[in-house]
Amino acid sequence: MSKIQENRSIGNFRGEFVKNKLINSLKKLLKPFGLLLANNKSKAGFVLLMGMIIFSIVGVFYTPYAPDAYLFKKSLGPSSSHLLGTTGYGQDVFSQLLGGAAPTLMVGFSVGILGTLISVFVGVLSGFASKRVNELINGIVNIFLVIPGVLLIMLFGAYFLGLHQNLGYLSTVLILVITGWAFGARTFRSVTLSVAKRDYILSSILVGERKLSIIFRQIIKSIMPVIVSNFFFTAMYGTMGLTFVEYLGVGNLNQVNWGTMLYWAINNEAYLVGEWWWILPPAILISVLMFAFILLNFGMDEIANPALRVFQTKKHRVKA
Amino acid sequence: MIITAIPIKYILKRLTIFIGVFFGALTLNFVLPRLMPGDPAEVVYEDLLKDSGGTLNVTYLHQLESEYGISTTKPIWDQYFTYLNDLFHGNLGISISFYPTPVSKILEEALPWTLFLVISAVTISFFVGNRLGRYAGINRNTGKDLAIDLFSMFMAAFPAFVLAFIMLDVFSVYGKLFPIGGAYSSSVNMGFNIPFIISAMYHAVLPVGTIILTSLGGWVLGMRNNIIPNVNSDYINFSQNLGMKDYQIKSIAYRNALLPNLTGFSMSIGLSVSGVIIEESIFSYPGVGMYMITAIDNLDYPLLQGIFLMVIIAVLVGNLIVDILLGFLDPRIKQEGE
Repeated sequence: MSKIQENRSIGNFRGEFVKNKLINSLKKLLKPFGLLLANNKSKAGFVLLMGMIIFSIVGVFYTPYAPDAYLFKKSLGPSSSHLLGTTGYGQDVFSQLLGGAAPTLMVGFSVGILGTLISVFVGVLSGFASKRVNELINGIVNIFLVIPGVLLIMLFGAYFLGLHQNLGYLSTVLILVITGWAFGARTFRSVTLSVAKRDYILSSILVGERKLSIIFRQIIKSIMPVIVSNFFFTAMYGTMGLTFVEYLGVGNLNQVNWGTMLYWAINNEAYLVGEWWWILPPAILISVLMFAFILLNFGMDEIANPALRVFQTKKHRVKA
Repeated sequence: MIITAIPIKYILKRLTIFIGVFFGALTLNFVLPRLMPGDPAEVVYEDLLKDSGGTLNVTYLHQLESEYGISTTKPIWDQYFTYLNDLFHGNLGISISFYPTPVSKILEEALPWTLFLVISAVTISFFVGNRLGRYAGINRNTGKDLAIDLFSMFMAAFPAFVLAFIMLDVFSVYGKLFPIGGAYSSSVNMGFNIPFIISAMYHAVLPVGTIILTSLGGWVLGMRNNIIPNVNSDYINFSQNLGMKDYQIKSIAYRNALLPNLTGFSMSIGLSVSGVIIEESIFSYPGVGMYMITAIDNLDYPLLQGIFLMVIIAVLVGNLIVDILLGFLDPRIKQEGE
């Protein structure tokens, strides 16, 4: 073997090494998505959600007409120039659907992410805290669990209205996070309590591992499916909450999203005069989005709870 | 089942939690309006001033402030004790949109209807949902299971108020099967008589049905996920080998799966109340939800706060009752509490 060839093979080796490293890190990055695809229900939910995300990204860059401009005749039926007709104010319904997708999804996702972060923090903390702190946290979680979220939204919204303001996206997200984090915190608390009792955690403590490291390296890792499942639940709550905020009229009704579309359609009694193209498309898209979240939430539950998994080899079930 | 011992320790613990959460809610109700930037009374006053062309007296502003329960002169502790004192004497202020009716009077009329809707919706949804979930879980991975799962997930995903409008449209406006609004027909006398009860139930079918449809999903999926590990467990295998009948085995697995599902009750009460409040205005049902929409439109803070407080107290009491019942039903809690 000549020197050049040798060099080349070393180069190849090096190239392959880098390539393998890249592939490995890519795999690591995609691992959470692999978790999502491990189950039929979450697979279906993932496909639906991806469709929604693509729809919303298209909506950011392109809509057939300006979504909030009053350009056309009022209450036109669906036609080739207006795929889903026009609203009672002369806006193009399809453009509104496209343009309103991104804000709707953003609210859902932000509520999901923020709410889950808070509930993981509170839940894991109370799972590891002293008994007194634990009970205190439990009490606070109970307060937020018991208060119906809609009531708080109404109260906050009314105070904002009183100050001649309405809830923009930021304040909507904040209110929904405040009313929606407690469900998750309770789940994480009980899951952490059960994980923290296991032997391998005890041995880590005995070996002298720091608490923070145990929490991040072992607890968070082992309850990851529960966290992902909870994220989808909270995101669903956020989407539903957005429609509530807009329906109650305490949101900023000049914004275009699927919630405000429903508000205007309902306030103009589109359902009574037969303008189905105005009210049904946003209603259906919202329910498809929430359906995707529920499917993912449910699928992740099946992954988190091994007892629910389907095993091909052994099935003993009671005959129906 | 014979109740042998009362889990006193457990009940006492629940009561302490109840009292703690109760005062938490009272305080939240007191703190919220004071946390808000600016003074709503001033804003309303300025609006009225503009409308009337500057003929309003400044004393009206003070009157508004006292009605909103906000005082700029008294220290905050003094305000808090006045607020608590008023509450325990049933004084919730005077409604602005229904001036001069006291808030407590409005609540007295509206709250029973809301409670009626919530209680019937939660109980029916609990029983139907758990039965459906049991059926789905026992027949897991069959077409029936998938159909039930998908149906309940889809209903849970559909925006509740749109469903309410569709129901109203289909069954009342076009179908003329059910009344368009109200809680009872004007031809019956209010009171404990049969025509009134029938009329009230007839008027509640649509609102209750809508809430049941949207809240069914949680129970169905929860029950399904609880019963599957039970059906696959060793004690069921053992019972089968003992030669127990199929229905007996199913009912044992069902009962064991029901207990963890019961703890979801508090969440379900809160969610149902949210649903009822939204839907009452759609079905023109004279509960607190309808008054709440009016209160928001007119910035009627005393009424809003009164409703907020009363609904939370009702939800808390409901939770307390469920928790105490759970103490009697769940052998694990009973053991702990004795």
